Amino acid sequence: MTLVRRAFYLVFGLALLAGSALVMADIIVNPGVNVRSLSAASLRNIYTLRQTSWPGGQAIVVFVLPDDHPAHEAFTKEKLGLYPYRLRQIWDRLSYSGMARAPIEVKDEKELRARVRATPGAIGYLNQNAGKDTRHDGIKTITLE
Amino acid sequence: MTASRQSRWSSLVLAGLLGASAAAADSLGDSFADPRYRIQGFAAQTLISSTNNNFFGESRDAVSTDFTEIGLQGFWLPLDALQLSGQILYRQAGESDQEGLRLDYAQADWRFYQNDSTQLGVRLGKVKIPYGLYNETRDVPFTRPSILLPQAIYLDHSRSVLIAAPGAIFHASTVNAYGGLDATLGWARPDFDSEAVEGVFLGAIRPGKLNGTSAFSTSLRWDTPTDTTFMLTYIDAKADYEPASADNLAAGSIRVRNVLASIQQRYDTVTLTAEYNEPRNSRAGFGAAFPDGVRNSLTYYLQTEWRFHPEWELVVRNEVNYRDQDDRSGTQLQAATGLPAHLLYTDDWVIGLRWDVTPSLMLRAEYHHVNGTSWLPGQDNPDIFATEQRWNMGLLQAAYRF
Repeated sequence: MTLVRRAFYLVFGLALLAGSALVMADIIVNPGVNVRSLSAASLRNIYTLRQTSWPGGQAIVVFVLPDDHPAHEAFTKEKLGLYPYRLRQIWDRLSYSGMARAPIEVKDEKELRARVRATPGAIGYLNQNAGKDTRHDGIKTITLE
Repeated sequence: MTASRQSRWSSLVLAGLLGASAAAADSLGDSFADPRYRIQGFAAQTLISSTNNNFFGESRDAVSTDFTEIGLQGFWLPLDALQLSGQILYRQAGESDQEGLRLDYAQADWRFYQNDSTQLGVRLGKVKIPYGLYNETRDVPFTRPSILLPQAIYLDHSRSVLIAAPGAIFHASTVNAYGGLDATLGWARPDFDSEAVEGVFLGAIRPGKLNGTSAFSTSLRWDTPTDTTFMLTYIDAKADYEPASADNLAAGSIRVRNVLASIQQRYDTVTLTAEYNEPRNSRAGFGAAFPDGVRNSLTYYLQTEWRFHPEWELVVRNEVNYRDQDDRSGTQLQAATGLPAHLLYTDDWVIGLRWDVTPSLMLRAEYHHVNGTSWLPGQDNPDIFATEQRWNMGLLQAAYRF
C-alpha cells in the first residue's frame, strides 16, 4: 500500500514539475514597443497573423523558434492553446498566398533575443530558464493579462 | 497558348528565378536580414501507380514520375501599407500540365486602412483567387491535407481557370471576441485558354480559342473562437469562343456559376472538413453543332485528419462528384452518345499517411479506391473508350521546404 502511495506521489510530483516547466515561457518585445501587457487573445491574434500592428500603428514583427524546439512547443501549447503543426498550417496558408508576412524563424533563443533587441516592433518568447543573466538586457518582458 | 508566347514568359520567369535565388542566398548568409523581405520555397516529387486508367502520366500498371512541383515565393513590405508578393512555380503533371515554369501570381496589396484589429485593402496584379479552403496555396504540398486535393472541387485538369488571374480584389479582415472575419470582393480576367479547359467546357479540343472575359468572385470566411471555420465562396466566370477560319462552332459563350460552402472543425489533434458545391455550367450561341445547354453538377467531400503523433498524420476522405445532376449514373449520356456512363460520376475513397521527418522534410503515402472517371485527366487517357469505371491509385511523395 505504501509503495503504491509512494509511486502515486512520485508520478503526481513529476507531472506537476513537467506542468510548471511548460508555463515558464516569457513574452519579450523590443524596448520601443509601447505595451506593458497583452491579453491571451491578443497574443494569439499576433501569432496567428491576424493582428499585424501594435496599438498606435507600429508594424509587428513576429519571431519564432523552429517547430520542434522545446521552448516553441511549450509556448504554442501553453500560451496559444495550439499545437505547433496547427500554427504552421495557419502561417503557410497566409504567407504562401501573399496575405501576410510569415514569422521569422531563428535557430535558438540566443539569436531570438538578439533579433528582438535589434528589430523595431519585434515580439518573441523565451524559456525563462534559457537566459537568466541577460534576460532584461535591452529587451522588454511583458506580462499576460 | 502559342509556343513563342510561352517561351517568352519562361525566359522572363527564369531570369526572375535566378535573381530571386541570388537574393535568397544573400539573405540566408546575413542573420540580421531586413525583416521586410521574405523568401521561402518548396520542392516536391511524387510517384504514381494506378490500375486501369492513367493519372498524371503513364501510371497504369507502371510508375509515373511525372508529377513535380517546385516553388519560390517572395514577400516585400516596402511600406507598412504596401505588401508586394509573388510566386514562381515549376509544375509538371502528366499530359495535363506541361507548361513547366510559370509566374504563379504577382500582386501588390495596398492596405489603405489598418489598426490593431482590422485591415482593409485591395490586391492588384495577377491575383490569387479566393476559392474554398485550399485554392490559394494549392501548389504548396505542405498546405494540402493529402498529396492530391479533392479533384472534383479543385479541378486539377482545368486548374488554370481558378488559380490566379489579372484583376483586383478588395479585402477586409477583422478580429474580435466573435473570432476572425475575412471578406473579399473581386474581379479578374480568367484564363480559359488551354486544351484541358476546352475539353471540359466545349466537350473536345476545338480549333478556335476560348477567351476568358470576366470572373466575379466574393468570399466570406468566419473563424470562430471555438476553432470552427465557415466559408462561402461565389464565382461567376464567363468566356467567349473565337472560332477558327474553318470551324463548325459559331462564336458562342460559356458561363460558370458556383457557390462553394466549406466547413472545418479543429480539435487538438483532429480536423474534420467538408466542402460542398453545385456548379452550373451554361453555354449559348455555338450553333447547331453544339446546342445551347445548362448542366448542374454536384460535388462534396468529407475528410478527417488525425495528428496521432507530433510528426505523423492520418487522413481519410470520401469525395463524391456528379457532373450532371439529371444524369447521375451517366446512362442517358451512354444511350444518347455511346460514351461510357462512368464519365459522369466519381466516388473516391482516400486514405493517406503523412510523416514530417523534420520541420523541412515531409514524406507522404496515399491510396485511392475510385469508382468513376469524371475527373480523370483526358490528356493522360486519350482513348475515352479504353478508360475503365473502377480503378485504384497509389502515390508516394517527398517534399522539401526552405
